[in-house]
Amino acid sequence: MQKGKFVPQGRKGRTMITIDIRETPSARAADIALIIKPSKDFELGTTMRALMKGQPVDEARVAEIGLSLDTIKDLVDRMKRAKFGVIFFGMGLSMTRGKHMNSAGILNIAAEMNAFTKFVCMPMRGHGNVTGADVVLRWTTGYPFGVNLSRGYPRFNPGEFSTVDLLVRGDNDATLVLGADPGATMPQPAIEHLKKTPTIVLDPKVTHTSQLARVHFTTAVTGVSAGGTAYRMDEIPITLRPGLKSPYPTDEEIINRIIAAVARKPGWRPGPSAQMTGTA
Amino acid sequence: MVRITGGRVYDPANGVEGVVKDICIDSAGRVVADVNGGDVRTIDATGMLVFPGGVDVHTHVAGGALNFARGLVPENQRVARKFVHTPELRAGIGGLTPTTFATGYLYAGMGWTTVNEAAVPILSAKHTHEEMHDIPIVDKSTLLLMANNELLLDLLEVGEFERAKSLVGWMLWASKTFGIKAVNPGGVAAWKWGKNANQLHQPIEGYSKVTAAQIVMDLARIVDELGLPHPMHIHQNNLGVPGNVGSTIETMNMLQGRRAHLAHLQFHAYGGQDWSTMRSGAKEVADAFMAHKNLTCDVGAILFGDAVTITADGPWQHFLHELTGRKWGNLDVENETGCGIVPYVYSDHKLVNAIQWAVGLELLLLIDDPWRVYLTTDHPNGGGFWRYPEIMRLLMDVEFRKSEVKKLPAEALNRISLPEIDRQYSISEMVIVTSAGPARALGLKQKGHLGAGADGDVTIYSAKPDSDGVMFTHPRYVLKGGKVVVEEGQIRALTEGRVFLVHPEFDPAIEDFIRPIFQKLYTLSFENYPTEMTRLKHPELVPCLLQ
Amino acid sequence: MITLTLKQPVEGVPLEAESICPDVMVTLDNAGVRALPVYFGKRQCRIDDFFTVAGEKSDEIEVHGDLKKVRWIGRGMTRGRISIDGNAGMHLGAYMKGGAIEVSGAASDWVGGEMSGGSIRVAGNAGGQIGAAYRGSPRGMTDGTIMIGGSAGLEIGMRMKRGLIIIGGPVRDFAGLEMKGGTIVLRSGAELRTGAWMQRGTIISLKPIPLLPSFLYSSSYAPTFVGVLSKQLASLGVALPFDAQAGAYQRFLGDTAVVGKGEILVWNAHAAASA
Repeated sequence: MQKGKFVPQGRKGRTMITIDIRETPSARAADIALIIKPSKDFELGTTMRALMKGQPVDEARVAEIGLSLDTIKDLVDRMKRAKFGVIFFGMGLSMTRGKHMNSAGILNIAAEMNAFTKFVCMPMRGHGNVTGADVVLRWTTGYPFGVNLSRGYPRFNPGEFSTVDLLVRGDNDATLVLGADPGATMPQPAIEHLKKTPTIVLDPKVTHTSQLARVHFTTAVTGVSAGGTAYRMDEIPITLRPGLKSPYPTDEEIINRIIAAVARKPGWRPGPSAQMTGTA
Repeated sequence: MVRITGGRVYDPANGVEGVVKDICIDSAGRVVADVNGGDVRTIDATGMLVFPGGVDVHTHVAGGALNFARGLVPENQRVARKFVHTPELRAGIGGLTPTTFATGYLYAGMGWTTVNEAAVPILSAKHTHEEMHDIPIVDKSTLLLMANNELLLDLLEVGEFERAKSLVGWMLWASKTFGIKAVNPGGVAAWKWGKNANQLHQPIEGYSKVTAAQIVMDLARIVDELGLPHPMHIHQNNLGVPGNVGSTIETMNMLQGRRAHLAHLQFHAYGGQDWSTMRSGAKEVADAFMAHKNLTCDVGAILFGDAVTITADGPWQHFLHELTGRKWGNLDVENETGCGIVPYVYSDHKLVNAIQWAVGLELLLLIDDPWRVYLTTDHPNGGGFWRYPEIMRLLMDVEFRKSEVKKLPAEALNRISLPEIDRQYSISEMVIVTSAGPARALGLKQKGHLGAGADGDVTIYSAKPDSDGVMFTHPRYVLKGGKVVVEEGQIRALTEGRVFLVHPEFDPAIEDFIRPIFQKLYTLSFENYPTEMTRLKHPELVPCLLQ
Repeated sequence: MITLTLKQPVEGVPLEAESICPDVMVTLDNAGVRALPVYFGKRQCRIDDFFTVAGEKSDEIEVHGDLKKVRWIGRGMTRGRISIDGNAGMHLGAYMKGGAIEVSGAASDWVGGEMSGGSIRVAGNAGGQIGAAYRGSPRGMTDGTIMIGGSAGLEIGMRMKRGLIIIGGPVRDFAGLEMKGGTIVLRSGAELRTGAWMQRGTIISLKPIPLLPSFLYSSSYAPTFVGVLSKQLASLGVALPFDAQAGAYQRFLGDTAVVGKGEILVWNAHAAASA
């Protein structure tokens, strides 16, 4: 493991703690592996926030987490004693019961730890350029995902405009899928909706979604045959340098051609729209 | 080609003060003495005032920090001005963290044509350039964050000044930026330890020799020796702290004999010892500033209402979060810098905010040389940039200013000197602090004036106030490079702005020095570090002063 | 009275109909009401593309039909009354300041989002985020009353500052999340994490509920204010037990994770009140 400028002993100078519902390779490599009961992440995070502030908690209900109060106290104390702490958290948190609130718990712990020592946290993003999509959406629309443009300007409301919710409720009447495979991952009502309504897929591979789509475009693999910029999970931009030629067009070419074809259709532009008035 | 005729021209850089004369712009977009024949659009500016386009010398509109802020405040976006998608205009959102297209529309809409993005980390410079690519109309320059760059600090620690200078030169060219920004020198490096740098002469956390003072003096010297068009641009240590007047004056003294630009000086001009005894320190700071003729500054005034504080000053932002309980975001950039975000509201009921409001105005009114002090709000830290006309009104209309002062909490009047100040800005002075002065400080010779050879960036206002008695909120016309981009409140053309950058001279061997250190300390391949020139649409190299 | 009747089902793309609002319709004649804009995906349509319209110039509006995909009804209203004979879609009465809304069927998410006054009554089930803050906002509802006869979803009363929410059926996780004040009455209890990170406010549950470790048992008693509240709720047709003979409320204080001074009162029938 890399020796840090201020951690000259490398691995020996770091304490790694894993928190998971089962033993994993990471847990085996850790100095301390805490196994908690499933769906208790929020309770653990809340308990840690209270203990960090020297506040009381109910011991019996803490035990339901699968850890003793003393263990969690020790964890919090070790965190306070660290010179620099980092919490990595992933989809095991954001996809289980509580979802975004589990992530909020971790963010709050890292933020509140700064009253005692240097602490940061890092969400482990999904594959592909999901961070890049988030970054670009934010600078062009003001919001990271779940953006609705049907009133002519960007609006944001997770649960209303996020993909899985739109598809499950059948709120949209067409779908364009680029570099994702909802046909493999989403709930059945969403898949049924993708089948029933026009679905267009752009992907280097024929995916599950392609099988139920109306149109599938095979496109060049970004990073291998198509260039661009990817954003690392800490939002650092990296230039992609394609090394191979592809017989297929890039995603960008296909999208531009779709835009041009739509522009030729009469009546596609919706006419004036009204902004929702302010909330004051 | 354009002829603007019949308007009262204010071009203080060329000694023109309210003279009715024609301004002519040729087909290359440059001001010329006359235009003849061919396709000339004549703009009848009778009853109007003709200014060079506004120049914002310090704002935060593009890049990682600003984009992080956008994500933190969806509630601001929800209530902000919306830009609806039309055949001509992209959709977007205004407000304090506007989306990129909206940023161009908003600045152009208020008559500002050149914008200086004040904080760019090298590691994410590509991101800044990508966002600037999406900001239409305005020309842009950028400042590179260096005062907490650990590769630089490591060199200063061992006294390797020449290498440090080459490193800075290399970084500027690698990032394709225009100037050097110092934010809380040493403090953001200390924040990697959870600490700050409040004492100018104490070694920075993690170092045994290099101090904030040394960083300030060495960086200023580096900027001068590289001959950069714009001086070192510094957000000083101890921002926001009551009693920071002492630190500010000491920093000014350290910069003796060097050029420097002091950013958002309002936040560095507080007297008193703590929050309860805080008072305006504007008079002391203004006096010291006026004596140091080598310095320029922008005020970073605050306006009552919403703001979003976005700054590389990580430790200060954590402190602000703990003080106010407002939500907080923090980003560290490995080896280089960081940023902190705290949305905030300046209230005219709060004593501290009232004092801050007065300090910004006092600095603008007490500093007698408008060529050295510029109008900014450190957008969005002090307030949205589209509110600059509110400050213009407070400067130009002493009766209005006094009526606003009366609304402050009574105790505030004991802590500020604003009530006693009767000075009123003339129109010429207004043009200097919003255009001619900042252009000169940035070293952009074709900006901020309307003499022959200047860029055809012109803002035309009605000479009469609007129905609320306010002037300068809505230009009648805005021209960018000779094209009418705004007319009677409507965006008419979407030009693409230029990006100014510098290519200083440095020892190319510095790259061999940097590479192994970089590979050891960074998490990126060295080949992926620099920003490619192809990312800049319309780059324009500005020569360094020695070249 | 203005009567709107849905002409055909809205089943796919939802309709955004914030113009169904007493403040908007009260000054309009029948033709004006018919011409009011509604948003169907990206298209702006007229109300009479979707509804038959009877009446004019009234702040009493009756709407008939299954409006489960008709959103933003009553947005920002300050007066008058909307009666929906059927279901209602998202954001019902969001930002409302006054007046009353009644729904005979079910409602969706964001009922009364960030409302500051008035009353909303839904006979059937509702979704999540009732009276809640929209994402990022520091506070949710700041006053008003919301009553849901049936069950409700996640994050009921999230960041509410003042006001009253009463839910007849069970609710899902995070009721009272980050609450700042006000009162939530859960007549059939809740699932997990009720009161998470609450600062202030009162959550009353008439059924036992699981609690976070950061809520601490304080005492068992019959709080006086519940008697007062009970009288208020009786006038709304809701019974709230408070008789010390019948039982007592177990009081839990929290959320200690945020050094909160909120309380959760859980009704315990036949328990002796203790000092």
